[in-house]
Amino acid sequence: MDQTEQQEEDYGYNLFPERNSGKFQKGSIAESLFTFNHKCQVMLQFAMETSKLTVLSCLFSAVYKDRHFSCEDCDGTVSGGFDATSSQIVLCQNNIHQQSHMNRVVTHELIHAFDHCRAHVDWFNNFKHLACSEIRAANLSGDCSFHNEVSRFNFGLKKHHQECVRGRALRSILAVRKVSREEAEKVVDEVFDTCFNDHAPFGRIPHDKKDAKFAYRDFENRDRYSANL
Amino acid sequence: MERDTLEVTNVTMPPRTCDDYWSEFRHCKSLWNRFHNYYAHGTSPSCGQWKEDYYSCREWEKNPGPETKESLQQSERNREAEQRKFTPVWDLRRDPPRDWHMPLHQGKSPDSQS
Repeated sequence: MDQTEQQEEDYGYNLFPERNSGKFQKGSIAESLFTFNHKCQVMLQFAMETSKLTVLSCLFSAVYKDRHFSCEDCDGTVSGGFDATSSQIVLCQNNIHQQSHMNRVVTHELIHAFDHCRAHVDWFNNFKHLACSEIRAANLSGDCSFHNEVSRFNFGLKKHHQECVRGRALRSILAVRKVSREEAEKVVDEVFDTCFNDHAPFGRIPHDKKDAKFAYRDFENRDRYSANL
Repeated sequence: MERDTLEVTNVTMPPRTCDDYWSEFRHCKSLWNRFHNYYAHGTSPSCGQWKEDYYSCREWEKNPGPETKESLQQSERNREAEQRKFTPVWDLRRDPPRDWHMPLHQGKSPDSQS
């Protein structure tokens, strides 16, 4: 990649203008009066208490709301992101208005954070790594649930989940990297089988609350399980 | 004291409680799970192994012989192997990133990471 191309690639940071300097000082009255910051914080608190997320949060030595999450205004229609340079999840307070949406975004971004924490993910230089994490996040967060797809008027049944995961992973890659659609599709195809079948930390695709409950049960019993294998 | 510790570590139990095997079997057979499996994989789920494991587990509790234990343990190892069938795209870490808990640097520019 020559110097000119490198200067044009901003790794999607243009979508999160407050990553370096917000309009209002963090914690200020102006911030709470003129942004959705407080609403975002409240919804985040509720989201962290859903069972799917307790599995993810517990697996970290500690995920701290104040350190690892940031509610900010974002550009366009993006809902959130994971900033690998600061190990922080960004939640777009101006684009998340429902608790169910918040739950989904937090789960999605926590999967990126989980991948960052457990593996040497080269977010900026390795497209396969980026694609893999996006496939996993779309697969495991509920982004592609039947209900959510129907609400987007995407009606499909047999194996439609996989079609959705492919499509959303592609969209996510195109949103944060300046690559052609063909290139992005090629990378997604290359890693799809491996990454679609990587269900860590759940051990299964958590389609509903029962799946999440069983995944959490497996997590709680992990010591007994590995000791008696 | 050492003898007590030895005795405790030699005691083995099924990897999951027998109730867990049964509830996994029931969940696998449920209408919702069959729907979700069709939606995700295009097939009906295969639930027979959970039922077999439940019976192996009960047998383990009643008569903990080496064959019963091995049968259940092998089933679980197969289940784990299924999860690891594909070569991962990345190398796993031994520890979390060093800066995971480090305080944030306010005003850091995006160029600084490249």
